Amino acid sequence: MSSGRSVKATARPALTPFAVLAALVCAAPILAIAWIALSGGASDYLVHLAETRLPVYLLTSAQVGLIAAAGAGAIGTGLGWLIARCQFPGRNILSWVLVLPLAMPAYVAAYAWLDLSQAGGPLDVATAGLFPTIRGAWGAGLMFALVLYPYVYLLARDAFAAQSADAVQAARTLGASPFEAFRRVALPMARPAIAAGLALVIMESLADYGTVSHLGAPTLSIGLIRAWSGAGSLLDAARLSLVLVLVALFVFSLERAQRQRARTSAASGRHRPASRLQLTGRTGIGALSLCLLPLLLGLIIPLARLGWRALHAAYTPDVLEAAANSLFLAGTSALIAAGLGLLTAYALRTRGRIATGAARLAGLGYAVPGAVAAVGVLAILSGIQGWLDPLWRGMTGEVFPILLTGGAGALIFAYLSRFAAAAIGPAETALGRVTPTLDGAARTLGATGWTLLRRVHWPLIASGVAAAGLLVFVEVLKELPATMILRPFNFDTLAVTAHNFASDERLGEAALPSLAITLIALLPMAVVARYLSRDAKSGELDD
Amino acid sequence: MRFLIPALAAATALTACSQPAPSSEEAEARSVNLYTARHYSSDEAVYADFTAATGIEVNVLQASGDQLIERVRVDGERSPADIILTVDAARLHRAEEAGLFAVSDFSNIEGIAPNMVDPDGHWIAFASRARVIAYSNDRVEAGEITSYADLADPRWEGRICVRSSGNVYNQSLLAGMIAHEGEEAAEAWAAAIAANLARAPQGGDRDQLRGIAAGECDVAITNHYYYAMMARSSDEADRAVAAASTLVFPNQDTTGTHVNISGAGIAANAPNAEEARIFIEYLLSADSQRKFVEMTNEFPVIADSQWDNDVIAGMLPFTADDIAIDALGENNAAAQRVFDRVDWP
Repeated sequence: MSSGRSVKATARPALTPFAVLAALVCAAPILAIAWIALSGGASDYLVHLAETRLPVYLLTSAQVGLIAAAGAGAIGTGLGWLIARCQFPGRNILSWVLVLPLAMPAYVAAYAWLDLSQAGGPLDVATAGLFPTIRGAWGAGLMFALVLYPYVYLLARDAFAAQSADAVQAARTLGASPFEAFRRVALPMARPAIAAGLALVIMESLADYGTVSHLGAPTLSIGLIRAWSGAGSLLDAARLSLVLVLVALFVFSLERAQRQRARTSAASGRHRPASRLQLTGRTGIGALSLCLLPLLLGLIIPLARLGWRALHAAYTPDVLEAAANSLFLAGTSALIAAGLGLLTAYALRTRGRIATGAARLAGLGYAVPGAVAAVGVLAILSGIQGWLDPLWRGMTGEVFPILLTGGAGALIFAYLSRFAAAAIGPAETALGRVTPTLDGAARTLGATGWTLLRRVHWPLIASGVAAAGLLVFVEVLKELPATMILRPFNFDTLAVTAHNFASDERLGEAALPSLAITLIALLPMAVVARYLSRDAKSGELDD
Repeated sequence: MRFLIPALAAATALTACSQPAPSSEEAEARSVNLYTARHYSSDEAVYADFTAATGIEVNVLQASGDQLIERVRVDGERSPADIILTVDAARLHRAEEAGLFAVSDFSNIEGIAPNMVDPDGHWIAFASRARVIAYSNDRVEAGEITSYADLADPRWEGRICVRSSGNVYNQSLLAGMIAHEGEEAAEAWAAAIAANLARAPQGGDRDQLRGIAAGECDVAITNHYYYAMMARSSDEADRAVAAASTLVFPNQDTTGTHVNISGAGIAANAPNAEEARIFIEYLLSADSQRKFVEMTNEFPVIADSQWDNDVIAGMLPFTADDIAIDALGENNAAAQRVFDRVDWP
């Protein structure tokens, strides 16, 4: 069933060129960065860095990434399983509410938690110094775990929900306890989804700047920004970002390995969804509390702290226009990214070398700090403008107008390059559900071309594509550095507004825009959650 | 997804038509394109009053200094930037090195200290901030600290709070020391401070002041306006933090206290150079100078400015380091390498 021939049978070569193009567009800024990094002359800055801070940067990056992954993995997997396989009070609402911490920018959570927990802060005073200060590599890793676990949760939940009851029940029949059945059967089957989520968590933690700089965790991206802002060497910053790209390659190859293993182990032609474990009484309350804990820590407590500060703020910022801008950027990018993600996933399915290579390249943008990706975008677009100059001069006598680097298009380009991985991963996972045998069966029954796509593929992948779009939507809402560099005149987004106040250490004024980010993320989240619950019902009817 | 697409499409359609598209070429309405690293409420008030007074619209692009520089550099001849405005000397210097500024004649500006204007006419300062030392009222005697050098004494071991060396204000402070005393002396000082830290650097300048109030450290290095902001805050807790410490303006008997600037220059390819000039002059007007002091607690650069701010009034007068501002930018990279070597995170 995993033989080359049947996989080839699902290939859709007509789609491939578009997909490769899409992936290359996403990958272009990263390629530009690589070009910048490799083009300049040798500098002694990297030598200086290797002799001084580089080991610390690398060590801290590893710590932050691992802590974030461990935390987000535990929270996301646990909650994913609870929601997918259990029924308890509040479950239906929690199913989508649990995604909301993703709307909280990690740096905003960090501002709030440091404010709460540092010496003299309310938590420090209330516990007489027992509550540890949220800072350093541990603090940063924890912040990432708390706001990024929804990546793992979303993908793990869908994976657990899609698992056939047969396997778990077989394990139970063979004498496994429920926990053992989870650990030895359900978990390994969900591993590719969890790995895809963890890859995103690790990448985003490593590319982050705001959180680690505020909490004093010198990761590689701190070193990279220092190379740019302190030493004034964009060249060396680009070179350091190549290290992050290498780390990304490594993480993604680990994830890939998980996916390959799953291909042979999890394929099951027959699908019978398991009925949910009924948790009532104390266990029900226990499950509810487990779900509320990360919500409390990742979302409610930071927001409450900000809200409290907002009440004491001297000034209430106007967020309406920024909200409209954020919505415009996030909505547009999400739609395009979901489409690109799906196309790329299909291209990957062909197992063609070029398609696979292009998709992997596109995914790497996630590992590069937004500021650096934006520089790549600027380099490409200004290159195009410069290339058009002679032509334009011939026609009008002037330089080519600033059409490309001055508009929202440049921003969306940067977002796509940064977040393509967030769109490709879920789409690919979803498409993985469309097994070659399923295609074969559909073909036997006469379904080909668009009919096959529309009637067989789409129902199976729709939720994954929606999740992809949603992830990008929320990412763009929160995105900061690329937005700062590339935005048009007089164009504030919510994240920019929140950051400007927070970076001035004016938490009160930062509260309202942060709250608005969360509320806006809530909207599409509710829509998708409704859609997903419909999906689950129809899945049961299919059986 | 069926629900998502129409929802997003509607949102897109709603906001797509509200895209601002300022154009410098259409001369009907005069405008000026401002690339600024500042995002203070005082500035918004300045823009509004400027437009009211002159009829010139202000288009703002705000990002960090390095990001602005990169964008102007890459856009080159077609850059719409009229004014580049940053909050520290190192960035002004970097923009100057990249050839982004036009040469202007600022000699008509009266009452400004000579080192606040670039000798080559690339930029002019319009507000300044001092890097000062705060000490605990309870645990440090008045007069125990009079200079930056005093903090290098071993008796401050485990007692100093300061933010990361990635912060440009720390870099400029050290760059000033390198300019005055040479790299070796500056490195010895930085190493001593790194050894005296009470905790690994975290948070911003206000968090260092909070560290004093909470008893985690006895001394902190901070920009003066963070202290002023807290002292004038509507939040009682913030005022209590400020009340727990006292500011020293160091080096009064030697080089003077380290001062950094907010400065602006007209872009080399400014499409609206005349409007840019009017705007920069407005930044130095009595009205604007008053706003910078009253709303953001900065020091004015024009002598005899009129304003009302008790906390700032209490800090003046002091002797500021009158080093050429360019020297801070020139030594910025060296300063960061020193920080790296002495392991000041």
